[in-house]
Amino acid sequence: MRNIQILLRQHVGAPCEAIVKAGDAVKKGTLIATPTGLGANIFSSVYGVVEEVLEDRIVIKPDAEQPEEFVEIKEGDKLEMVKEAGIVGMGGAGFPTSVKIGTDLNGGYVLVNAAECEPGLRHNMAQLEEQTDITIRGLKYCMEICNAGKGIIAIKKKNEKAVEAVRAAIKDEDNIFIHLMPDIYPMGEERAVVRECLDVLLETTQLPSAANAVVINCETLLRIAEAIELRKPSFSKHLTVIGKLNDGRAPHVYFDMPVGMAVEDLIEMSSGIEEPYGEIIMGGPFTGKSTTLESPITKTTGGIIVTVEFPDLHGAPVGLLVCACGGSEDRMREICEKMNGKVVSVAACKQAVAAKPGAPLKCENPGNCPGQAQKVLQFKKDGAEYTIIGNCSDCSNTVMGSAPQMKLKVFHQTDHVMRTIGHPLYRRLTISKQVEQLPNGK
Amino acid sequence: MSITAETAKEHAKDPAVLCCRAEEGIVIEAANLEDPAIFDDLVDSGLLNLDGALTIEQVLGAKLTKTCDSLSPLTADVVEGFKAATEEVVEEVAETEEVTEVVAAPVVAGTTAGGVLKIHIGEGKDIDLEIPVGGLGGAVAAAPGGAVALPVAGTTEAPVAAQEEKVVRTLTRKHFNITEVKRGPETKLEGTVLYIREGIEEEVIATSDLVKDFAIEIITPDIYHTYSETVMDVQPIATKEGESELGSGVTRMLDNVVMMLTGTDEGGVQIGEFGSSEGYLDENIMWNRPGCPDKGDIFIKGNIVVQEHTNMERRGPMAAHTAFDHVTQEIREVLKKADESLVVEIEEIEQIRRPGKKKVVIVKEIMGQGAMHDNYILPVEPVGVLGSKANVDLGNVPVCVSPLEVLDGAIHAITCIGPASKEMSRHYFREPLVLEALKDPEVDLCGVIFVGSPQINAEKFYVSRRVGHTVEMLDAEGAFVTTEGFGNNHIDFASHIEQIGMRGIPVVGMSFCAVQGALVVGNKHMKYMVDNNKSESGIENEILACNTLCHEDAIRALAMLKTAMAGEEVKAAEKKWNPNVKTTNVELTDEATGTKMELVDNEQALPMSQKRKEKYD
Amino acid sequence: MTDSKLNYGEKLLYMEGIVVEIDDCSIAVDLKGRLGYFKAPKRMFISDTEPKVGQVFGWNMSFPEQLSDEVNEKYITNIKKHGCKKD
Repeated sequence: MRNIQILLRQHVGAPCEAIVKAGDAVKKGTLIATPTGLGANIFSSVYGVVEEVLEDRIVIKPDAEQPEEFVEIKEGDKLEMVKEAGIVGMGGAGFPTSVKIGTDLNGGYVLVNAAECEPGLRHNMAQLEEQTDITIRGLKYCMEICNAGKGIIAIKKKNEKAVEAVRAAIKDEDNIFIHLMPDIYPMGEERAVVRECLDVLLETTQLPSAANAVVINCETLLRIAEAIELRKPSFSKHLTVIGKLNDGRAPHVYFDMPVGMAVEDLIEMSSGIEEPYGEIIMGGPFTGKSTTLESPITKTTGGIIVTVEFPDLHGAPVGLLVCACGGSEDRMREICEKMNGKVVSVAACKQAVAAKPGAPLKCENPGNCPGQAQKVLQFKKDGAEYTIIGNCSDCSNTVMGSAPQMKLKVFHQTDHVMRTIGHPLYRRLTISKQVEQLPNGK
Repeated sequence: MSITAETAKEHAKDPAVLCCRAEEGIVIEAANLEDPAIFDDLVDSGLLNLDGALTIEQVLGAKLTKTCDSLSPLTADVVEGFKAATEEVVEEVAETEEVTEVVAAPVVAGTTAGGVLKIHIGEGKDIDLEIPVGGLGGAVAAAPGGAVALPVAGTTEAPVAAQEEKVVRTLTRKHFNITEVKRGPETKLEGTVLYIREGIEEEVIATSDLVKDFAIEIITPDIYHTYSETVMDVQPIATKEGESELGSGVTRMLDNVVMMLTGTDEGGVQIGEFGSSEGYLDENIMWNRPGCPDKGDIFIKGNIVVQEHTNMERRGPMAAHTAFDHVTQEIREVLKKADESLVVEIEEIEQIRRPGKKKVVIVKEIMGQGAMHDNYILPVEPVGVLGSKANVDLGNVPVCVSPLEVLDGAIHAITCIGPASKEMSRHYFREPLVLEALKDPEVDLCGVIFVGSPQINAEKFYVSRRVGHTVEMLDAEGAFVTTEGFGNNHIDFASHIEQIGMRGIPVVGMSFCAVQGALVVGNKHMKYMVDNNKSESGIENEILACNTLCHEDAIRALAMLKTAMAGEEVKAAEKKWNPNVKTTNVELTDEATGTKMELVDNEQALPMSQKRKEKYD
Repeated sequence: MTDSKLNYGEKLLYMEGIVVEIDDCSIAVDLKGRLGYFKAPKRMFISDTEPKVGQVFGWNMSFPEQLSDEVNEKYITNIKKHGCKKD
């Protein structure tokens, strides 16, 4: 096993500051770094010895023996314990949870993001199926902390087993409901969850609090319950490893992997890469980034995906359609380069707006297309023969409404992942955006 | 892309098309609809068929009864509860109303309608090629209220005469009336009867080895329904008096009679084979166009037969023109000596400079691709041959002439294809834009630049750069660029406009465009365009001079240039040719000037030839 | 591009042809693929340099479509009078 590398920045905000030095012995749950501003405590995920403290990470050589016990956090009220445990949003953004739920909703809503929207990932659903009760308890703690009157679990209808598990668990809860979602990307986008559950469309600059709600990932709920009930600090992560692996294309779901573990070790645990391969993605197919075997996982890592090789465009001219739902322009350019295409035109979806220049794009109305024909015309005029798009299901469908007729061949940013895992490519949309809800949300 | 409620309102009468997939049962709102601004491109790409589409105002608030994909036009069968169409001719009406409103609103006084060539050009420095689909809307801007008010009919004085007008020179035209043309033993003028010497045909044939036969026919109004070969040119009969030079002094001219050149080669092939206007004269001539005979004129029609196959060589048409001029020259000699008492009218055309007014220049592009795409420039006699230089021989470079030289026959036009858009020699003699600009008290016409249109692109850009520098050193504040016909000359036409426009000088472009003459290129300086089209369908209808520049075009162009020079906006025309743009602009100009512009007829006024009936109507 | 008289007017084909004849007014082109010959005024050809026999030009074109089955007798007369315009 490689050394554990714990990054000092695993959350929104400033990097933490290490409070250990080389040679220090650490246990599971030893506090090793503390916030310097907005941030969350960072704990060791293993028993071992600090080998070195670098600018951006703490490197720990793990012991051979790894007991289950961990250093408990100190007792306090529920919000204090969430803060102490260093919990951040596990869905990917990494916003410190204590800050998010440290608010008074005056009877508002806690919306549980259990959409698990990135195709290929399975660990959220596995958690709902196998750790149902503790997850629901996490929700109840969360509602208590932020004084919410109602909890709504947003989950895709297709995940029938998880839906049934949750239904059984909430059947006697007066104020917890299920909202079923269609299998459309990006239903898990925070503002999409608010819109779907509450029928309120937030501005890109607004937080869910504007709709009197907080949106919280289902794994985060689990970590909240663990912190409160077990006094367990946040140093482990659920995740999915999937892709071009020696034992096939089925997902490997792991619970409680130590934060800081190397990508390579997780892949080895999952039977290893079936060579040759295209790239390794950390995160989901849409919003994940390419990574390396040495890289460590963090509190927000949800997936590790090994893809098939990229098609070769032999230097053909390509137009990039950048969308808030998919990769950034840099990521799109990287994919284009890996496909050996030449970028001749770049356009951003009309709805993709940045709060300020350089900030990540956000979609004004996630999953509802604003029309793409003009972008396609632009690519065509700029001489593109191919387009690579990073759009959501609905926008991809729109692109397909014009590009092929104009002899512009369409690739989706996630194609190589979808081909790997045998998921339909993002092209035409054939299903409805509307799904039938459960009676009374139960 | 989806549109806002405001955009939906602006485009209330445009077709409603879904921008994205929309599911059954939704209530249609603006955000579901595609922006009509890109429909032309989509239609051109075959992505969109607007047949049967309801309008935006009809569908807003209605219910979609079937899940439809992006770019589906919303038709009655998929929409429930749409509003009834308000009018049959919604689009035209909407356009007119909208434009009128803009003019009427005092806040935007002067912001007026007009035609912008909607060819988008990216950042490229050179000319970007566009799909040659759209036509140009003829267009004009109404004069801004008050600021640069055009003189109201009756009050001819300029509102403020800060600096005095200066008459640079005067051209006097002495008109001789002709009522009859006969053949006789000698060429002479007897009262109002012109005699042409019998046997002059032999001399004409003898002028060149290439001329194989020649015949004169006198066409009087009662025999207008005569079959004729392709009309190669229509020329005035005029001559300089005494020592007068072209463009100044005195010109004597015959009224009610024109020279008309027609011809074929020995094999019977028309000179100017392409798009010929052979047929019955009265069915193929757009009467009273500046370049055409006026109805009632007598034609001295000379039909020349040149050596076989030379019709396609430069020397063929040139020999025909030179030979025919032998007849005209003999009449000129007689006219020079004619008794002063026969003068029925003396017309004075003044070349007026107006210091302090906006200085404008007219750039006229003339054909210079060779052979029948050529022009003789600055002959000694009005529309003569002697002393002139062929445009092609001059390398097509810009030649600066005075407005009076233009009106005194500085161009002997050899151009012979595209009968409907060809500018005959007579056109220059009565050039409407030069006349209107000279007359306009609000502009200072400094001169006219003729520039040839060479065949190859390298030369086209060579000459257009000369045009740019010439206009720059004139310190012109505005320019017109006109061209005749269409084809590769539109490349240099666009380049002239760019060369002038890039120097910060507003340019109004004038050309036949409509449907068939849609520009092949464009650039961002081509913002102010006037379409010379008059034909009903917007095509080269083979009717002589039908689509040439007329007074109504000149007036619109002047109004548009004045608007542009005043820094005001000229509204964009639609991408597809829409004759209503012109109609609207004419109304606007009338409204601003308080006059009524008489529009010229088009081919619909002529007796219907079988040919036209079959082909065009 | 849309002409209501045509049923197939939108179907643009890329064509190439060889310049076989140039005179002072016109250029004649043999269409590649034994698809015929045409001659048109110089003004309708776009070229960066002097066009020369043996050069290849490219363009888009569609199919000429019959507009009606009527025969115009006047055209017949003209054709008889002048013979076939180019043999």
